[in-house]
Amino acid sequence: MKVRLPLILVLITGILGALPFIIPHRIAQNFDNEFRNSVLRIIAAFSLVLGVGSIVRHHIYKIQRRKENWEYSWILLVSLVITSIIGLFGGIEGNGSLPTRIGDFYFDIQTIYMHAAIPLGATMFAMLSFFMASAAYRAFRARNFEATLLLLAAFIVMLGSVPLSTYVLPKLPDFAEWILTVPNTAAKRGMGFGIALGSLATSLKIILGIERGWLGGTK
Amino acid sequence: MSFNLSLKLISSIAFFIASAWALTPPESVTAQDNPNDAGQKILIKWTLSMDDSILDGYRVLRRKENETEAEVVGFVGRGRNYYVDENAIDTIKYAYQIVAVYDTITSPSTWSNYTKSSPQWIHTQRIDVIIFTLVFTFLILYFINQARKGQELFIRKIAGLLAVEEAVGRATEMGKPILYVPGLTGINDVATIAAMNILGEVAKKVALYDSQLIVPNTDPIVYTVAQQIVKEAYTQMGRPDAFKADSVYFVTDSQFAYAAAVDGIMTREKPATNFFMGYFYAEALILAETGAATGAIQIAGTDSVMQLPFFVVACDYTLMGEELYAASAYLSREPLLLGGLVGQDAGKVLIVGLLIILTIIGVITNLPVLKIF
Amino acid sequence: MNGSLKSNYGIWEKLTKIDRRLIYLFLFLVVLIPLIYPFRLAPRAMTPVLKLFNHIDTIPKDKCLVISVDYTPDTEPELHPMTIALLRHAFSRKIKVGILCISLLGLGLAQDAISIVTNEFNSKALTRNDSVIYGRDYVFWGWQTPVLVPILGMGENISKVFPVDYYGNKTDTLEIMKTIKNYNDVGILVSISGSAIPFYYITYAQTQFGVRIGVGSTAVQAADFYPYINSGQVTGMMSGMKGAAEYEQLVEERCKIYARRKATDAMAAQTAAHLWIMITIIIGNIGYFILRRRK
Repeated sequence: MKVRLPLILVLITGILGALPFIIPHRIAQNFDNEFRNSVLRIIAAFSLVLGVGSIVRHHIYKIQRRKENWEYSWILLVSLVITSIIGLFGGIEGNGSLPTRIGDFYFDIQTIYMHAAIPLGATMFAMLSFFMASAAYRAFRARNFEATLLLLAAFIVMLGSVPLSTYVLPKLPDFAEWILTVPNTAAKRGMGFGIALGSLATSLKIILGIERGWLGGTK
Repeated sequence: MSFNLSLKLISSIAFFIASAWALTPPESVTAQDNPNDAGQKILIKWTLSMDDSILDGYRVLRRKENETEAEVVGFVGRGRNYYVDENAIDTIKYAYQIVAVYDTITSPSTWSNYTKSSPQWIHTQRIDVIIFTLVFTFLILYFINQARKGQELFIRKIAGLLAVEEAVGRATEMGKPILYVPGLTGINDVATIAAMNILGEVAKKVALYDSQLIVPNTDPIVYTVAQQIVKEAYTQMGRPDAFKADSVYFVTDSQFAYAAAVDGIMTREKPATNFFMGYFYAEALILAETGAATGAIQIAGTDSVMQLPFFVVACDYTLMGEELYAASAYLSREPLLLGGLVGQDAGKVLIVGLLIILTIIGVITNLPVLKIF
Repeated sequence: MNGSLKSNYGIWEKLTKIDRRLIYLFLFLVVLIPLIYPFRLAPRAMTPVLKLFNHIDTIPKDKCLVISVDYTPDTEPELHPMTIALLRHAFSRKIKVGILCISLLGLGLAQDAISIVTNEFNSKALTRNDSVIYGRDYVFWGWQTPVLVPILGMGENISKVFPVDYYGNKTDTLEIMKTIKNYNDVGILVSISGSAIPFYYITYAQTQFGVRIGVGSTAVQAADFYPYINSGQVTGMMSGMKGAAEYEQLVEERCKIYARRKATDAMAAQTAAHLWIMITIIIGNIGYFILRRRK
């Protein structure tokens, strides 16, 4: 029963999820809307509790066992608690019951988001350029014919993407654009085609209970 | 300045002409139930007014059967010859009138036929999708049945999956953990489900070799599923006691905060093997390059076409696109799953065949030589 | 003899294994130096940018340009100059502009672009007619969600989707809204985004309502839009910082608007970074080839 019940649930919800695509009748559509908007949202809300529980448990465990770098776990837990209190009681822009400013110093959730979360995210995103440089250096070696072709294409597109090429080789940007528009698009379409069919087949196998890996491989 | 003046002049002339010779009304107004919907919608069509180019647009009026009073239900710009009334009641019949409007001058059409809206049970424009899905399902079930009968099914070697065993073994020898990153999307994404399937197989090998596994998650639901999968894998290998609940945990749902956290794990714990399976965004290279810097063996798999090149350059092995979905069948070697895989390829052959045939027909029928006859 | 051969090997091997921190350091420097000592590299406009510019340049006077500011602060360096360049182009040609956001974080960025460009124009204006006036020349509708609500709704009635504008005015009371009712009055809608939002505009606004769509995308995502340019569903596109710089160049050349060109200014740094990456690849390959030949 432990295995059969989830499989039956997947079969039913899978079919019910697919039917509204071919049945426009409002009975099917209303059920689908209700299922997606209400049931899934409730599940997601509860799962967040599980998530927060998990992260708190993980770091308390680290502190208790004095595992490597356990001091940082304190920073995480204290930040989590303070941000939650500010978010829950301080309102989005400091219009809640909890005061979120001391003189000209604001610490409402919008300020925290704008001045901490966004710059930190942008910093991580900016690191991408450094990683791209080192990855390109290591990977682009003319080991064989295919690798040489890849290397040449990369050179043309890279050169074509900077204004300097316009002065040196005026036709190069057009060629770079052709590489992007024709061979690149063709390859992407081919990949997309396989991915779409693969995902359809995987969905079918899950709905029909053939693919059970998500159950932990239980037979 | 002069342009504005001439615009005003043209506009005044248009107004003068319109007032002097009244606007031509729209014609042939028809109303019908809007097809393929949940009801409560009526599609109204008309022939554009002869003066369409100077109009502000068309006002749509409706009246109920046996009533004389009309109400305005909508307005559309010039050049448009249809309108969908989305506020109809299925049990009531309505007639529609379209009024051409230019400033204060109007010209109404005659009233349309009476009609009522109704919901449909089948979306007629999606019948081709239904047929294709049925054929595809049949092919998969057929090959699964063949596999069940014991027929040998050939699957080509996938280097990235062949390396899984070696990668887990290496981590055991080095006494270092294995990091498994299950992508950044939710459990509703096929890529995440495929990642969960592979996690099950990897966890079994980890349990067998008595290695350590770390699975940081970005989605709370995926976290619960992943934890259950790893636990089941340990139980199946007869080592439930070796499972540590703390090895699978939720980190954050923020993209770059998650990337920073995983980078931190890689630099502190120095895993011997990193798995990146599932759907990834811009953080793909940030993760893979940090992993490469720590000297780990890296196996990636994603159906995110845009991130594939990054994984290809920074990882030792990469499962591309649908190879990710095939991985669990490949690793488990279960005949039923292998049968599904062959059925999937048969479906692909069918579609490619159809595309080639239809392209040839399309080219041949448009050859200039045929136009001679 | 043997020792010298070994030391020669060592040099070439080092070329194939340059410390990544050294690569990072030089990349940091080659980006930083052109930003401190800028030199201008004006790009030549590519076909997709040229198509977008020409289409906007020839929008009839009774139609408007709509800009959908759908990017977030992390992609601001690449995408923000596009919004600014589009606004400069439209205001210089006296084309009416409507601005909206589907991404909530785009609101602040859209407001920033509006402030920059309106200040530029109004500081030079001598008469009311030369000025750029809110409600007459442009409107900022604000934010609406979820994604399909504004995209489909604007096909019917824009004021219904945005009853109140970003500043709290009733949209219907604005003079500009008398001429902008729905997509029929839109010459082109340009969606600037680092996410999938332009795809929604292509699928729903272009396919269902026939409105022209332009795209401003990050360089890494640009390849996804080429199939739509080929099929004509996208009229023109600016891709990445170079696309923005090309548009800035066109605006300066053809509209004679001389103002700060942030994307063009960054082109030198971008060029230097590209060249540095190419140099490292060449160095790595030289080492690799010599090692292979000797072995």
